[in-house]
Amino acid sequence: MTKSTTLTVIFGVLIVTTLTTVWLRALPQNLTLRFHPYVGDKPLVLYDQSYKNPGGNGDFSIRDFQLFISNIVLDYSSSSIKEPESYHLVRFDDNTAFDKIIIPEIKIQNLRQLSFAIGIDKKANGTLVISGDLDPNSRMAWNWQVGYKFLLLEGMLTVQEEQLPLVYHIGFNESYTELNFDVSNEKISNNGVIDFKIDLLRLFQINSSHLNELTNQQSSEVIKYIDMSELSHVKFSPDDVRIIAKGFHDFISIL
Amino acid sequence: MKTANIVVVIAVILIASTIYYLNNKKPVTHLVEFTAPFVFGRFIIPPNNPLTMESVLLGKRLFYDPLLSSNNQVSCATCHKQSLAFTDGLKTSVGVSGIPLAFNSMSLVNLMWGPRHFFWNGRSSSLEDQALQPIQHADEMGRNIDELIVDLKNNDTYINLFMLAFGEISAQSIAKALANFQRTLISSNSRYDQYLRGEITLSSQEENGRKLFMAHPDTKVTLRGGNCIDCHSQFLTSGFSTVFDGFSNNGLDNDQTLKAGLFSLTKNEAHRGLFKAPTLRNIAVTSPYMHDGRFATLEDVLAHYNGGIKRSKTLSPLIIEADNIPKTQNDHISLNLNDNEITAIIAFLHTLTDEEFLANSAFSNPFIAENNND
Repeated sequence: MTKSTTLTVIFGVLIVTTLTTVWLRALPQNLTLRFHPYVGDKPLVLYDQSYKNPGGNGDFSIRDFQLFISNIVLDYSSSSIKEPESYHLVRFDDNTAFDKIIIPEIKIQNLRQLSFAIGIDKKANGTLVISGDLDPNSRMAWNWQVGYKFLLLEGMLTVQEEQLPLVYHIGFNESYTELNFDVSNEKISNNGVIDFKIDLLRLFQINSSHLNELTNQQSSEVIKYIDMSELSHVKFSPDDVRIIAKGFHDFISIL
Repeated sequence: MKTANIVVVIAVILIASTIYYLNNKKPVTHLVEFTAPFVFGRFIIPPNNPLTMESVLLGKRLFYDPLLSSNNQVSCATCHKQSLAFTDGLKTSVGVSGIPLAFNSMSLVNLMWGPRHFFWNGRSSSLEDQALQPIQHADEMGRNIDELIVDLKNNDTYINLFMLAFGEISAQSIAKALANFQRTLISSNSRYDQYLRGEITLSSQEENGRKLFMAHPDTKVTLRGGNCIDCHSQFLTSGFSTVFDGFSNNGLDNDQTLKAGLFSLTKNEAHRGLFKAPTLRNIAVTSPYMHDGRFATLEDVLAHYNGGIKRSKTLSPLIIEADNIPKTQNDHISLNLNDNEITAIIAFLHTLTDEEFLANSAFSNPFIAENNND
């Protein structure tokens, strides 16, 4: 095979591959949102693995971690799709590396932006409607007068051999947080997957990197964290809930 | 000759297809119509076992028939008595061997909702799978399933009932029938249900107990709570249905005496000592309590949560953390409820008794009715 023939073949293969990719993306296909739990830069391993208390002494482990992702909206250049009954319980059991939400048979080409919320919107949170993964008899339901936990995080902090239970049940309408993601084509794999990172440490951040992103400023500020032993349980105290829910803005990012 | 051959071939095909049709003919069945409160939520009936009247009728007869045991003296109803919300009042049940079993008899109620795993340790993932286990267990009913099928095939009543329900007598159809009868055991007319429907009001003590039941305590906002809701859902009062959320280590034993529980199914160390949170429907008539029946009264149960908790590796953080006074030390785990609050919670638990369910003839022993008619 001559050099020019070889180049022609390679060029041809590239064209065919590109056209196939473009053609495949133009067809309706499943869009998969995969959520990978992390503690900082380490993947979350339930029960067995310990992590350093980010703002104080001791190490913590996590037994249970669940959260609601809701109201998924897909924005294209001139249209948008709102997923019906869009209430998804994302949970991590038996150290599965990720949990996923599948949006079936949609056009992925020209997808510009993806939006969803952490928590349950006020309307659904105030009723007993059974929609998507909402279930008033589930672990994520408090009772019909209070609504749902948006996030459930339970574990144990060990400080000098003393064990302190960690209970974070974060709810209330004020905590409902909408997130927007730019999803240009390179962030979606050819098989329609977007990988997200959920970083637990963001919940315990005192200063938010979100503010820096908004002002487009590069911050040299060292991130400070809450001492988990000082805030080991958050349930109904509005001030405490606000402190943790503030971290929802930075909680999820595209991997 | 040629014509004769064709006629013979056609005849053979006709006979074969008739035999095939008769052997595979599905009986004409009728679906059960039932109602349940919408707050119970979604329910699951396996697509391969529709809830038919014929299967329920058969299942009810099997449930009450001691023919299902090796000594023909023990039926499902021996350990699941309707007047006791389908429990038996014993610490742990006793079957054909006379040897006390490892577990307390579980109440059979609202089984289409709640945890998708059955038995205290969740070892069975469907009612159909669950149904055959006690029959074959050496200490429970000790019955060889093949021998049972032979006996059923020699019984005209059962031949008729099985044909109407499933068209055959098999281990699978026995399991399906028993599962479907149990699915019909719906309790939804307790005073709590009547309260939820707006038909009655609870007494002030019961209402106080209801509020305590539904609350995880939070001393930061002076919210007092009995912490029941953390394991028992607000309407079903059972454990939760998703994955293994309906299982918990509620502090009965320390690490030295901790039983395997859910670990025996999952082999996950995080599940050691976790047991199924049972329904609290009709709890006032289902003593004794816990997986091994260690507590004789509801007062004993409340005393456990109010100071009797034992630490172990898998003890729920929710139980350790739940306290009605600000924690000063972590050694002693207690809800720190006062006597009035304990009495109120017990008063609320009594509102979960459904007298109509406990006496509903649709669930009662068909052999007694037949004997009365004779």
